[in-house]
Amino acid sequence: MREKKIYEDLSPLHNKVQLTRFGVLVIFFILLISFWKIQILDHNKFWKQSEANRIREMTLPPQRGLIKDRNGEILATNIASFKASIIRENCRDFEQSCQKISTLLELEPEVLKERIDKYKDLPLFQPIVVKDNLLLEEVSKVKARTIEFPELIIQSEPKRYYPYKSLAAHVIGYLQEISQAEMQSLYKGRQQGDLVGKTGIEREYEEKLVGQKGRILEVVDSVGRRREEISRINPSPGEDIRLTLDFRLQKKADELLEGREGAVVILKPDTGEILALASFPTFDPNKFINRFTPDEWLDLIQSPEFPLENRAIRGLYAPGSIFKLALALGALESKAVSEWKTYYCSGSINLYGNPRACWFRGGHGSMNLYDGIKNSCNIYFYQVGKTMGIEKIAHYSRMLGFGKKTEIDLHGEKMGLVPDPDWKKRVKEEPWYPGETISVSIGQGPITVTPIQVALYTACIANRGKKVIPYLYQKKTLFREDTDLVAIQPDTFEKVIRGMWKSVNDGGTGRGSRVDGFDVCGKTGSTQLVSSATAKKLGVESKIVKTHSWFTGFAPKDNPQIVVTILVEYGGMGGATAAPLARELFHLFRENYDR
Amino acid sequence: MIDRNQLRNIDWILIGLLVLNSLIGLAFIHSSSHHLYGNYALKQLVWIVVSLSALFLFLSVNYRSLVNYSFYFYVVTVSILAGVLLFGTLTSGAKSWIVLPFFWIQPSEIAKIIVILVLANIFSNYKREYLTVGQALLSSLFVFAPVVLIALQPDLGTALTYIPILMSAFILAGMGRKTLIILVILGLLIGIVGWSVFLKDYQKERITTLVSPEKDPLGAGYHSIQSKIAIGSGGFLGKGYKKGTQSQLRFLPARHTDFILSVIGEEFGFMGVVTMLLCYFLFLSRLFQSVIKARDRTGVYIIFMVALTITFQFGINVFMTIGLFPIAGVPLPLVSYGGSSLLTNYLAVSLVLNVKMRRFVNV
Repeated sequence: MREKKIYEDLSPLHNKVQLTRFGVLVIFFILLISFWKIQILDHNKFWKQSEANRIREMTLPPQRGLIKDRNGEILATNIASFKASIIRENCRDFEQSCQKISTLLELEPEVLKERIDKYKDLPLFQPIVVKDNLLLEEVSKVKARTIEFPELIIQSEPKRYYPYKSLAAHVIGYLQEISQAEMQSLYKGRQQGDLVGKTGIEREYEEKLVGQKGRILEVVDSVGRRREEISRINPSPGEDIRLTLDFRLQKKADELLEGREGAVVILKPDTGEILALASFPTFDPNKFINRFTPDEWLDLIQSPEFPLENRAIRGLYAPGSIFKLALALGALESKAVSEWKTYYCSGSINLYGNPRACWFRGGHGSMNLYDGIKNSCNIYFYQVGKTMGIEKIAHYSRMLGFGKKTEIDLHGEKMGLVPDPDWKKRVKEEPWYPGETISVSIGQGPITVTPIQVALYTACIANRGKKVIPYLYQKKTLFREDTDLVAIQPDTFEKVIRGMWKSVNDGGTGRGSRVDGFDVCGKTGSTQLVSSATAKKLGVESKIVKTHSWFTGFAPKDNPQIVVTILVEYGGMGGATAAPLARELFHLFRENYDR
Repeated sequence: MIDRNQLRNIDWILIGLLVLNSLIGLAFIHSSSHHLYGNYALKQLVWIVVSLSALFLFLSVNYRSLVNYSFYFYVVTVSILAGVLLFGTLTSGAKSWIVLPFFWIQPSEIAKIIVILVLANIFSNYKREYLTVGQALLSSLFVFAPVVLIALQPDLGTALTYIPILMSAFILAGMGRKTLIILVILGLLIGIVGWSVFLKDYQKERITTLVSPEKDPLGAGYHSIQSKIAIGSGGFLGKGYKKGTQSQLRFLPARHTDFILSVIGEEFGFMGVVTMLLCYFLFLSRLFQSVIKARDRTGVYIIFMVALTITFQFGINVFMTIGLFPIAGVPLPLVSYGGSSLLTNYLAVSLVLNVKMRRFVNV
């Protein structure tokens, strides 16, 4: 007991602890009384709630916002549809009920199993969709057997419907069931089984379109029949979206491309509003709105023609002769060439030791800038390109929007490529050869552009230097402020525009697009896919011997209102194929808007 | 490190009660999660074994050394908490985890042990009759640094469980009228600022619906109603092990964690709850009783802080399950599923055992 003395007296502390301990005892008594009340006194009430009545929670899907064209024509809407879901906790014997359901709904047992397996992590009480787009007979078949199938429920849900099927499918996009990856990144807070926009406007403006889910809490009896509704939060529909698209122009563009591969872009040069954007071949987005992967889908993604690709923003093509406008602008602005300087075209020329031909074998004769553009003379532009040099060409083409995204409100736009010596050194680790400058001068060689870039480039020319950002979602303010001017004088544009006007209205390569009294200005292009030597070997039968056919232009010359850009893959000469298609579009626009 | 005398002084009854409560928890974790994917019961069993080993290992270090070095531990812990906030893994909206190869660890739980040691250090030589304002503020500061970091994660439930550590120190130190008034004012201020700045809307809803959960049965009142239905429908003897319709099939989303008591109430009824409460009371009571065996002031503080912290969490969780406290995400210590919480509570009890077994050793 010697040690005891060196310990301090802790008894005041002990008293406080004892007091607290007594407090804890009191709390335990309070708890006992509370549990007594809940479990003994109120037992009947809670027993009824838990056993005789069961509470079921159901989600109510919201109406997705409509997508309309600029005049209110509905391009995407919703129709009523029914889906059958299984609630696993109501199964008496899971395996057996799977078998019975697969017979009742005529589903492959493996497909059904796979489906349920995919959602096995969901709580047991949550319905898993096993079949959607039910026929009315199927609905009544299930409804008649609720006693036999307490685990099967029918829910109605608004289903997306695109009344014009493939019309503007690449712009509108399509819906499909959300993927695991999307739930973690793109669409956080969404649930398994939700349908979400995968491409186009449906994807871009998913958050606006989707709306807010509602929930019902309902009391159901032991076989799953609804007894009463406890509470309900109604779903709130998504926001409607009005696009800048013009239905008539879009329809016409689709008709013109029918049976071809290619793209059409029509826009308003002053604002950047897209009036039509078409890509062919196309697809019917109605076929995707199904929770099961349909065979058509597999066919589409495996097709060699890539119908799902939006060629207007993702197709990379050599610009060919339509690039000559950029060259002309750059040459005039940098004073490398004056508009009256002439070069003689004899049909071919020898540059840096290689013979180069004009597309017109007979030769154009003496060409100044206006005639060079009008006749799309290669020899003229070889010389201009040679005088300018690749650095200047690259500088002006970037200024005019090539090599970077246009920032249209669609996902997946490609950038294209403006080649220069730096690029070649970086990517190919080779020096730039002067001969390549000659190819680039007429839009061939490594340079690639997208049709939307070409349309914006044309808009910039039509605006005499004002650049715009293209858009599809018509917001409340029609005009966007974020436009800028390129460092080229309006006067320079006037000269090039004069050349474009002559190309269409003075018997040039673009004459096929002429519309009486509408002052169309344009430029054609035909891009070679293989050299003429190879073409001879392959013979005329081979598809790739034909050139891609380009036309881009605007109208009217003064106060331009519309830009039309057309690309037809393997379409042959631009003047022969693309220009007449453009004529139809200019004509239709004029009839509707410019009387 | 441990001599034979000390071994003889290990409180085996306390360890027995600790393990008993953990095993009760294990049984109901199994019942409420056997149909879920994730093998929760097995994981919990592994955690019990790990925690028990940690408990014995931790005994080998004299608690006074731990207290002496506590400031160093504290600095490291606060840095880790800040690190978690910056680099932690985001799970269900809160950054509170460090991911290890096999298990995930929640530093905010383990940090409680360090805070207990630091406060024990601060108060070890404090012999005045009442707590001074300076002392109160100093100790509050040490508690609030980690609390703010944890609240920012945001994990308000865990942050809440730090309050009893401070509270118990104040109770032991004794509060004069002046200190009490200042503390009440400070508490109110923090409450108001916390309500308007820190609390998320859903948390505010939980508190407001406490008054009448039936008004919003789909929203914040939902869990509360479901939990009460589970407990109430259990009646006197319950529906039987693994036969609770509410807990087996129903809506309690955290039935193996925060709402484990609802499962016990449904499946074993009032008798089950009484038995469970009795086991728990014996455990808590023995913890408090251990104070008598402490030889120094430091020991008394440690034991009391541990006992009150566990009691407080227990109280909040039970009141939550019967709808008398907002859903705060506080698990039932020892019983609920969750490794970090279990390990922390075992280490806390280990501290108590540590104090008790070194009661006869000379300074």
